[in-house]
Amino acid sequence: MTARRPMLLLALLLAASTLPLAGMAAGQGEANATNPPPAASARVQHEDDENARAEGERRFHANCGRCHQSPHKLPPRMMATIVRHMRVRATITDEDMRLILRYMTQ
Amino acid sequence: MLPLSPNSRRSKRRFFAALLALFLAPVVHAQSQGQDSEAISPVPVFTMGTGFITTFEGGTPHLGPLVAPLILVPVGQKWLFETRGTIEADLAPPPGSDDFKGSAEKSVDYVQLDYIANRYLTVTAGRYLIPFGIYNERLYPIWIRNLQTDPLILPIGGSEYGAGTGAMVRGGFDLAPRVELNYAAYFSAHSSVSHMESDRSAGGRAGIFLPGPRIELGGSFQHLLQEDRTNSFGFHFEWQPPPVPLDIRAEYARSHDGSGYWIESAYRLSQSPVWQSALRHVQVVARMQQFYAGAGESDEMADVDTNQFEFGLNYYFRDDMRFVSSYGRQFSPDGNENIWTLGLTYRLALPLWPGGGK
Ligand code: HEC
Repeated sequence: MTARRPMLLLALLLAASTLPLAGMAAGQGEANATNPPPAASARVQHEDDENARAEGERRFHANCGRCHQSPHKLPPRMMATIVRHMRVRATITDEDMRLILRYMTQ
Repeated sequence: MLPLSPNSRRSKRRFFAALLALFLAPVVHAQSQGQDSEAISPVPVFTMGTGFITTFEGGTPHLGPLVAPLILVPVGQKWLFETRGTIEADLAPPPGSDDFKGSAEKSVDYVQLDYIANRYLTVTAGRYLIPFGIYNERLYPIWIRNLQTDPLILPIGGSEYGAGTGAMVRGGFDLAPRVELNYAAYFSAHSSVSHMESDRSAGGRAGIFLPGPRIELGGSFQHLLQEDRTNSFGFHFEWQPPPVPLDIRAEYARSHDGSGYWIESAYRLSQSPVWQSALRHVQVVARMQQFYAGAGESDEMADVDTNQFEFGLNYYFRDDMRFVSSYGRQFSPDGNENIWTLGLTYRLALPLWPGGGK
């Protein structure tokens, strides 16, 4: 390996490490935008929860058995890590990740 | 490639350690900012795929124990550090002997830092699995693959090592209601660091997934930026018709060194009308492959045209633990042979944080 290669690699990795900063700014606004407004009443809240759970279950069945057998539930804080892992590895969409995590931790 | 002196190897190791530190610095910083406001805060997780597979290839038994530990460290809301290594042995009796001999092989499959920038983009840096086709990234682990033998075309597009060193962008998002696009594009530098080798290459994969009928169709491309600077490309198809526990997967790939395809279907007998309680654990698998040798010479791939078919029978004790078996026959001008496999695979997952198991 010549000395130029590590330098090139370093430059590339540095460039990559600045990308997240730009994304951080973009992502922050978006995360806020997707949060639903507070529900007006407890009943509406309950229906929302039920719908989210059903939708989460549907998305779990559509996605989580695609590459391996559908996994069983694990403790919530581990599930949060693993669903993030699958978000990256399996390119699961952002909405899928949120709804599936909700379903898997209830 | 020139052989490396121990000195230059050490300095390279130091170089990679420095790079890793460089990457972890902003992560630690982000965490100390306390941006983690999600209801469930993720914890570091240790998982491991493991198994013991006995293979009879042309009559010779091979014992293959394998462990693949994996560590996941989430940081803040948007970062994930992940690394996986594999230690596997191939033990076989030398001709004329009854003793099993062989050596263990170690590799660092990936060490990467992911930043989930927004719903469209995740940026990955470090050593990562090359996203070419579906096998290397999605189906390779011992506890996932339905048949324990590698597809003949697996080396295509993965370079020699199946991993790259550099940066990758990837993501998956809705293109339209019930139509998802997923993509990955990377640039890899050459690396000769022991157990972490990679080729200089660039490439990517894109796919369309329809969550309704559960169909994915996609294509991959790789351009080697060293030696003979060849191109490879491939297509993949996956279908899991929702009402039936059936997985159909197929891949085609073409490179200078050869081309070919595999098509596999796996059926879980969970809807069997008879003996349901026992049969629902059983999965039957069939795979067919054809490989056409190319002009180039690769140590990884067959140098003659080869056909292979296999049948598998797996029994799932749980989603993460199973008994696996298969019979296959390979046809090539070098001679035909039978390939039997028999074994157990398991995946465990543990929290690496106090209270993470609650
Ligand atoms: C595109 C393929 C794919 C899909 C879809 C997928 N997984 Fe995975 N999953 C994998 C692979 C590959 C691994 C092994 C990771 C490794 O060894 O590097 C894995 C590993 C796991 C593990 C073991 C722990 C870990 O993180 O490695 C769990 C649990 C898991 N997946 C759950 C899920 C859940 C829940 C979903 C649905 C959100 C899902 N998977 C969807 C491919 C997939």
